Amino acid sequence: MLTGMDIGGTNTDVACISDDIFCVKVPNELGFAAALEHVPAKGRLAVSTSQPLNRVIAGSPLKVQSIIIPGPGLYYPGGVSGAINHRGDLVEAVDPEEVRRILEHNPADVLSISAKFSVRNPGIEEAIAEIAREYYPVEKIAVSHVLGRLNFPARIATTELNACMKETVLGISGMIREHIADFYYFKGDGGLVAPGLAHQNPGLLYNSSSAAVALGAYYLSREKDCLVIDIGGTTTDQVLLRDGKPVMERIRINDRNTLIESVAAQSLPYGGDSYIGERLEPTRIGNALAFGGAEPTLTDALNCCGHSIGDSARSLVMDPDIAYEAVRYYVSLLSDAVLSYKPKKIVGTGYLARWLIPLLSRKTGVPASLPEHGESANAVGVAVSRVSMTLWGHFDTGRRRAVINGELVPLPAWNDDDDLIAACREKVREMALRAGADPEDLKEICLVYFNSYDVVRQGYRNETIADVVMQVAPGITAGVL
Amino acid sequence: MTTGIVYHPAYLSHEQHPAHPERKERLSYTLDQLEEEGIWDDPRIIRITPAPANEADISAVHSEEYITFLRTMSRTGGYIDFDTNIPPGLYDSARLAAGGAIAAADAVSNGSVENAFALVRPPGHHARSGMGAGFCYLNNMAIMVRRIQKNGYKKVMILDWDAHHGDGTQDIFYNDASVFFSSIHQSPFYPGSGYISETGYGEGEGYTVNMPVPAGTTDVSYRYLFTKVIEPLAHEFRPDFIAVSAGQDNHFTDPLTGLALTARGYAEMMQRAVRLSGDICEGRLVAVLEGGYSVEAGLPYTNLGVIAAMAGMDLTGIREPGAYETLLSGAVDPSAHLQVIETTRDLSAILAQYWRCFRDLA
Repeated sequence: MLTGMDIGGTNTDVACISDDIFCVKVPNELGFAAALEHVPAKGRLAVSTSQPLNRVIAGSPLKVQSIIIPGPGLYYPGGVSGAINHRGDLVEAVDPEEVRRILEHNPADVLSISAKFSVRNPGIEEAIAEIAREYYPVEKIAVSHVLGRLNFPARIATTELNACMKETVLGISGMIREHIADFYYFKGDGGLVAPGLAHQNPGLLYNSSSAAVALGAYYLSREKDCLVIDIGGTTTDQVLLRDGKPVMERIRINDRNTLIESVAAQSLPYGGDSYIGERLEPTRIGNALAFGGAEPTLTDALNCCGHSIGDSARSLVMDPDIAYEAVRYYVSLLSDAVLSYKPKKIVGTGYLARWLIPLLSRKTGVPASLPEHGESANAVGVAVSRVSMTLWGHFDTGRRRAVINGELVPLPAWNDDDDLIAACREKVREMALRAGADPEDLKEICLVYFNSYDVVRQGYRNETIADVVMQVAPGITAGVL
Repeated sequence: MTTGIVYHPAYLSHEQHPAHPERKERLSYTLDQLEEEGIWDDPRIIRITPAPANEADISAVHSEEYITFLRTMSRTGGYIDFDTNIPPGLYDSARLAAGGAIAAADAVSNGSVENAFALVRPPGHHARSGMGAGFCYLNNMAIMVRRIQKNGYKKVMILDWDAHHGDGTQDIFYNDASVFFSSIHQSPFYPGSGYISETGYGEGEGYTVNMPVPAGTTDVSYRYLFTKVIEPLAHEFRPDFIAVSAGQDNHFTDPLTGLALTARGYAEMMQRAVRLSGDICEGRLVAVLEGGYSVEAGLPYTNLGVIAAMAGMDLTGIREPGAYETLLSGAVDPSAHLQVIETTRDLSAILAQYWRCFRDLA
């Protein structure tokens, strides 16, 4: 049994998949425990926490103290002393007293620590984090080396976001573990990750709803090349599938590049709960009248146009002209967005899809399908996902140093490039199995990048440096395909 | 300010042999540094992917006999001189390097970037029309200059600050008054040319200027030469384009040379070149990587410094790690600057025959 849970803005969707698919939608106002009651005791649980984390980022009231150790290179005002170079050597020492002074004089809610080239040697960040634990609890401290990749400015931005999200993710994990000991988080790239890694790098979980919908829509429809339109309560998301996979992008938050990879999605700020006053507004006040709310929404407007959604009689207090105009405006906006993709087919998901997607198809002339259980495609996508991970490795025989995903590991022995690639393939396989991956999902481990070169000193080649990026790609687990 | 950086992954693949100073390792640490600095994400940087130079562009500089020789030897491997072998496949590598210089020039010419740096390998400034030398096969700079002229910018000023004299480039433009060749280089040193008496020939007389400096020369002397020679000449010559042969082997950690320039010195030198291009030719400046063999301790910092200066970034943090301070003090010769001053006085006297700015000083 595979169970997926997507915590949305209004509801939490739960999908249980074995021979059959069972879906349920639980209003968030009933509490998280109410949703967990629908999770079977046996089988695998995966949770998408997109909405709570998006809220932390969008309206974060948290004050972040960011300790930056730039060393030689581009300038960062207020940088702290200490430096690691490109080979991971400590070339300038940290001054603990300077660090203490900064921690004492600039208190904040959470702490972010980022050193240039820390992914080649985490020593400086670990030393500063140890001092910082006297000033901040561990759940409020994020370090950058766990991100594993070069790109200092993006690592700083991601680490600051991680510092903001870490406590929330730990809190959600605590709540889940009160009911279920083992579970996975669903990532923004469409894969699953063990909670421990998500606690270190909560950015992995950011913006995961779009990935969930993309995987769910493909699983339910088997349409490989299409535009998925997911009509939610507050937004309408569009995700393009090519060869059954969503297009990925590295996202920017608050005008800064991050190292967060997520599914590329466009979003219209309107959904079934969008309030209608004189016209359709990009605002959610509450549920639709038809679902016990106090103000009319797009759902009520559809009822005024002849549909029967929920307690449709309650919707009929709306001015029918305003209702018609609101639906027309929504379909027109969405139509423009859809046509910009030039899709061959639309797959509609989300609760209102069955009423709005036919209107959209008629307006755009693009054929559409509405897969069964499409109203919970997001939770289905979370359920059918697989454990995925990326290995970022740097190996330096001269320094006798190997770093994988920012952590020092024993240097493997290798004779040639193929040897090292094979060792990394085995390493990522081990890591994935330890994280609970289905061995069937590990038949394809992709080598994303490889570069190696000899280090020549005094005319002799006596050292080698290699960089490897190896990935168990996100996607649908082999067990359900 | 937008700066184009021309780079191709194939620039890592050329090697004469694995232990040669001009090897794959040369750019690897620089690329790590650029990646870690987030250079490719920076809105001031535009990455340009080059195509190989075409035969017409190469023929504008090199003789048909030499091109045929290179192409033929590239099939099986061959030999030019003691430290310049022709590994199999060399011609394609050299064409891609020249194509990188062309891509940089085109991007500046058509205004898609304000200036550009071609981070190419193999280098080119020792290559003459009819022969390669000193790790160089095709003269990337000369091929680029001819392309710049084809793009409609007739007067080009070359500033070659590689530690070795750019003898190949000088030779190609020695009798050409449309191209002003200037070079700061260590002397006496390989290739044994670049004396102040070498000033051009025929129509090109007065359009070649050499500034030899002794081992141990520091940032101070390079600043001095900019003030006393390069900037006055540029203002009088009024080029349409400035082209820098950006050798990085003046760095105090370079194992093949004896100069003592720092990463900040490089950055400030490029900053002055950028300002000069802004004053004279609407900012049109292009740089091409030449030598530089301090692959680990020098190049990551000097290449970053050059790029930061070109893109108008804050140079405050451009420096080497503090641990290198003793290496710098060991490389500096305190008497070098006095020699530079004396040589500059002699050079000014020679140049006064051709250039008013030196007569005015006299």
